[in-house]
Amino acid sequence: MRRAYTAVFAAAMLAGCTSTGNVRVRDLPDDRPAESRAMAIEAAARLAAAQEAEAPRADEEPTALAPPVTPADAPSMRTYDPFERINRSMYRFNAHFDESVFLPVANGYRRLPRPLRSGVHNFFGNLGEIGSTLNFALQGRPVYGLRALGRFAINSTLGVGGLIDVAKRMKLPRAATGFGTTLAKWGMRPGPYIVLPLIGPSTLRDTAGLGGDFGLAWGIDAGGFYRSSRNSWMFGVANSIDLRAHIDFRYYETGSAFEYDTIRFLYMRQRLLEDEKLRAEGANLPRSTGTPAGQ
Amino acid sequence: MLPPCQARAVAARIPRMMKLPIRLLSRHRLGALLAAWLTISGAMPVAADQSGLPTTRGPASGLADSAALRATVFGTPPDQLADGPQRVPVKEIEVRMPWMRPLPRVLWFNERLRVWFSPQEGEAPLAIVIAGTGADGNAGNIRLLRGALYGAGYHVLSLPSPTHPGFISAASSTGVAGDLGQDGEDLYRAVVRILAHLPDAPRISHVDALGYSLGGANAATLKLIDAREHKLGIRRVLMINPPVSLFSSIGRLDRLFAQAIGPADSGLEHLYQRLYAELANLYRVSDAVQVDETFLYGAAAGILRSDDEFSAAIALNFRLALANMFFAGDLYTRAGAVVDPKDPPGPGDPLEQTWATLRGKTFADYFNEVFAPYYLKQRAGTTREALVARNRLDSLGDALLTDLDCYVQTNRDDLILDRDELAWLEHGFAGRIAVYEHGGHLGNIGSREQVADMLAMLEGRWTGGGR
Repeated sequence: MRRAYTAVFAAAMLAGCTSTGNVRVRDLPDDRPAESRAMAIEAAARLAAAQEAEAPRADEEPTALAPPVTPADAPSMRTYDPFERINRSMYRFNAHFDESVFLPVANGYRRLPRPLRSGVHNFFGNLGEIGSTLNFALQGRPVYGLRALGRFAINSTLGVGGLIDVAKRMKLPRAATGFGTTLAKWGMRPGPYIVLPLIGPSTLRDTAGLGGDFGLAWGIDAGGFYRSSRNSWMFGVANSIDLRAHIDFRYYETGSAFEYDTIRFLYMRQRLLEDEKLRAEGANLPRSTGTPAGQ
Repeated sequence: MLPPCQARAVAARIPRMMKLPIRLLSRHRLGALLAAWLTISGAMPVAADQSGLPTTRGPASGLADSAALRATVFGTPPDQLADGPQRVPVKEIEVRMPWMRPLPRVLWFNERLRVWFSPQEGEAPLAIVIAGTGADGNAGNIRLLRGALYGAGYHVLSLPSPTHPGFISAASSTGVAGDLGQDGEDLYRAVVRILAHLPDAPRISHVDALGYSLGGANAATLKLIDAREHKLGIRRVLMINPPVSLFSSIGRLDRLFAQAIGPADSGLEHLYQRLYAELANLYRVSDAVQVDETFLYGAAAGILRSDDEFSAAIALNFRLALANMFFAGDLYTRAGAVVDPKDPPGPGDPLEQTWATLRGKTFADYFNEVFAPYYLKQRAGTTREALVARNRLDSLGDALLTDLDCYVQTNRDDLILDRDELAWLEHGFAGRIAVYEHGGHLGNIGSREQVADMLAMLEGRWTGGGR
């Protein structure tokens, strides 16, 4: 049986990739113009509806009390990256790994029928709700936590073990969180930028958060998928492939020597923006001013 | 050698260790996030195909009208897009060009030219599509054109702009992008070589070439070269929102940046700080848990409001595309403008300072510090004025105007054209040009009207010239 898995895995890896000396050819997933257009129209309509109903909501978490963020509060355009040389070589390693293993496999997976893929995606997403619920609780954000728990309950039952995202249709969209955000809520700064092997952009805080998430999943071992099952390695592989297939990113597609810098900038700003909400919700998270962002 | 059972236990652990970390990357959805953030800030070369080399209209503000700016930034509204086919097969082809120059170590990943090919089953015409300034051959605008062309029965081959760093490294014979003639020669050789290496030897009935923005001018150059070389047999050419003059617009583009953003270091810093604060405040009152693409797309409408902000987004797009061109040109010609030719950066070296310096470099700087020194040395007897003059569409010669198989699509409010340039196009290509009333620069590419006219033009059955 294991041999069969391995064969499938190898076949997926090699599918659609030929190389002869000066020329390399790779089959990419089909473009689907009609579908993209329909999705864009739908997204635009959703956006318009959202803006229609914009009336600033006194939302679940009270945010109105905190003073607004001003341009002077913006962190430096520079990023705290004391391990830059190691990070850059790790980025390069990740690019090679992605190019030769991860992306080809993900592209093979993308050829499977959409309902199958969305089932897999929803299934993993649903298991993730357990961790989100716990982390929202640790963050002291009960409303989000209840939403995650509600989604888990609904999708595990009505959604046939999580294969269908019923909750989303009931206007309970997925909102994931992790231990990295919990640490932020507890007052931990992002710290230096770190590029992790195989995974990519992170910070010291998010790396610790990752460890926490991992330990949590390991400890809970939901459904026995994470630890007890004999085939939990297959589960891990499938989860990784599904996630990679959902990320529309290609290393060095920009051709730019500054791609590392750009991604570092964006990743760090995104995490810092997310911290702003925690700060507004009362997190005692000091702003670093006058130093590179993250420090 | 581990005993089998133990080996299995180890093997079982590795993927499990992988799966959760990868969730993190997914949670942040880097790729989509980049695209979204960049739609707002225009902060990366991939987003640069929004525009060609813009000149501006109207003397006082130097800005185009609001509608044109908005169309340029937001692009064609989805409900106006032409119906595309259900599926378009896409192959990515990477070809090594024998004439490529020694690859600087910091650009190690650009060893092969990457192009994209969508083959039909049987014999079919081939459409060669060339991207706009700084964009690669799989950019959003390319995908729109690819869908339409493939749906109409073409094999589609799409290439990056000769100003894309990947092209400069892998296929330029000079390393200095921006000369219409030289870029055209490199592009021509590259296309000939790629066609010889297409997988499964597709049957091609005839060849048409098209491009948007600067890519339009590149496509026209291809046809002029083909008239001399006869290696491709290009039949018709279509330029979508082409520029008329490249270098004479330098001053105006630099002014747009200066007006909308200000001096490069402090102006960009202010823009960034304002953007950060606005995003943070929107995010705090939103229901979103993460700053993801859904949130950012929604926020874009709330953040971009004034004409100045739209202008800033457009100007920044160019500036960042230019920064990559500048860097490559400086590296290849050893001009020493931003990198030390004796000690060029390696792949592991920090580049933040270089990147910051480059953001402050204008088109005029590029011309003065990299482009002109190189070409003045290469072409004995030429002058700076001559270098500027040969980079005008109208200098490509009467061949273009008298060529009945050369078509144009543009907009009356295209930011990259001034009135005289538009008049020159309308007059020179009379009967072969469609001028739409609205769309700014590329703000209607892929729309029903644009696609229908494009296909009719390429098939030689377009009769809309009279309106």
